[in-house]
Amino acid sequence: MSQATNGVAIEATGLVRTFGRVRALDGLDLTVRTGEILGLVGPNGAGKTTFIRSVAGLLRPTAGSITVLGRAPGRRVAAHVGYMTQSAALYEDLPVRDNLMFFARLFGLPKDEARSRTAAVLAVVELTGRGRVPVRTLSGGMRQLTNLACAMVHGPKLLLLDEPTVGIDPVLRLKLWEHFRNMNADGTTIVLTTHVMEEAERCHRVAMITAGRMIAVGAPEELLRAAGVGTIEEAYLVLRERDANGNGRAS
Amino acid sequence: MKLSRIAAIALRILRQFRHDPRTVALIMIVPLVVMALIGYLIGDAGKGPLPVAVVNLDAGTDMPSGHISLGATITAALGRNGQVAVEPSTSVQAATERVRSGEVAGAVILPADLTQDVLGGAPVSVDVVVMGTNPGLQGPVIGATQEAIANLAKTAGAAAAGFKAPPLSIRPAPLEGGVGLSPLDYDAPILLTFFAFFLTFLLTSVSFLRERSSGTLERLMASPASRLEVLLGYLLGFIGFAMAQALLILGYATWVLDVRIAGSIWLVLLVIAILLVGVVNLGIALSFYARNELQVVQFIPLVLIPQVFLGGLIWPVQTLWTPLRWLSQLFPLTHSTVALRAVMVGGEGFGDIAGRLLALLAFSVAMVAIGVLALRKYHA
Repeated sequence: MSQATNGVAIEATGLVRTFGRVRALDGLDLTVRTGEILGLVGPNGAGKTTFIRSVAGLLRPTAGSITVLGRAPGRRVAAHVGYMTQSAALYEDLPVRDNLMFFARLFGLPKDEARSRTAAVLAVVELTGRGRVPVRTLSGGMRQLTNLACAMVHGPKLLLLDEPTVGIDPVLRLKLWEHFRNMNADGTTIVLTTHVMEEAERCHRVAMITAGRMIAVGAPEELLRAAGVGTIEEAYLVLRERDANGNGRAS
Repeated sequence: MKLSRIAAIALRILRQFRHDPRTVALIMIVPLVVMALIGYLIGDAGKGPLPVAVVNLDAGTDMPSGHISLGATITAALGRNGQVAVEPSTSVQAATERVRSGEVAGAVILPADLTQDVLGGAPVSVDVVVMGTNPGLQGPVIGATQEAIANLAKTAGAAAAGFKAPPLSIRPAPLEGGVGLSPLDYDAPILLTFFAFFLTFLLTSVSFLRERSSGTLERLMASPASRLEVLLGYLLGFIGFAMAQALLILGYATWVLDVRIAGSIWLVLLVIAILLVGVVNLGIALSFYARNELQVVQFIPLVLIPQVFLGGLIWPVQTLWTPLRWLSQLFPLTHSTVALRAVMVGGEGFGDIAGRLLALLAFSVAMVAIGVLALRKYHA
């Protein structure tokens, strides 16, 4: 993959996606910088998952444009993108290791490399001892770790995480964030969606969306300053109110 | 026990049905389609007579009472039999070709000196040419001919000739296979093709539905794998499995049940393999129209029953009303049944079933295209 992306991992301009009469994305503009962790926050139905699926190449834009790692989303880019779905999308009857091996091979890794990457990623998510266990026997938290492992097994440059910590206990949530930071430190750009506002504070930048539109984007402290409040949750409410009143963007 | 609780459960089930119009429609449509087919095919109006070529070479003879031809009498008797429709033919070779091509269910050959020999008391054999691979075709033809000969003594012309029991016999002449094989020999190809179709369709459609509902299909589509690669991967996986099943059925049929496999086993496997390419893709395509396993199961009778009733598995295709006969040519089971019977019972080769293989291939290519389109619809 060419690195001629000028430090931009994702560039969405006027992105529109409709489902029948519903405009899930309504002219969304967003630039994700290479090497950052960007949190996409907003209430249910704001368009977060639609945006992630558009980046993953699963949805074609109705209007507007989007580039991912310098290209239109699709098969050529897909090899460099990891996608962790909201619910654990795994083969329940297969052992954890076989799930990882399958996705590694699907993303084009040669057999030996797939094997070594599987072992390495299992070690990262601390599931080495569970490699031979069928997924259906795992706890919810372990499934989510396996889900993450499958998304990162091919060493993606860009990792898309759709509500990665939903339904996860606080201890495991901290552990997941530790993995996200480690991957990011290794150069992986991460875009994650969440409606847990305090989680957004862990991101380098936060993009706030509502009804398929961007209302504010910036570092958490910038957004807090712009809104004049103490928490991201309050900032979201203030900035959404301002947007509704036509006061424009925070940054 | 509280009636209100029971009522609440029953009402909840009814409400669920109200919100699932597809299930309701399937529950209503499937039995109607099945009943219509059964009513049509079992009722007298459903089936027409089998076409039979009659080559009447009998010159007849002149009697004091006038010219008499037992050949013509037999032909007329066949014409009155509701099971067969006489199609006169001038040469044995042309009639035999028509039997081989499937245009007619059989050919009755009435020899040149039939009347003279019978009146002279010499035994005469009437050849009944049949394919010998389908009892549904050969049975009625042989039966109708036997009946026509048995009734010969009662006909006016024969009575005038003064004989009671004509020294006539029937000599079935199967082109392939035989007329005295066990029912299992004739039916094993049907069982093989039916099980291959049914189980592969069920497995593929349910697996793909799970792939979709569990979210793994989303992951597959977000990977560098193309739609065609996904379909081909599915195809290889399921065909390998289904072929193993077919081998098991074949092995059991051959070694335990002693079923006849006169032709090449590789040709049998080729027929099944081409059939299954289409079935896997049919399963994938239809799974997109189902929300759950229950709806997939409801598709089974809709997909299978018309093929079983109209595809020659029970009643010969040749007896169907013409539009239904055309329709049956769209069904893969029609072609796979004929091809497997031809190879297993008749011992026919690749060239003999090439047309059927081509039809199966066309079905499979169409289903692959529909499968790719179904995936494209998902990825939008």
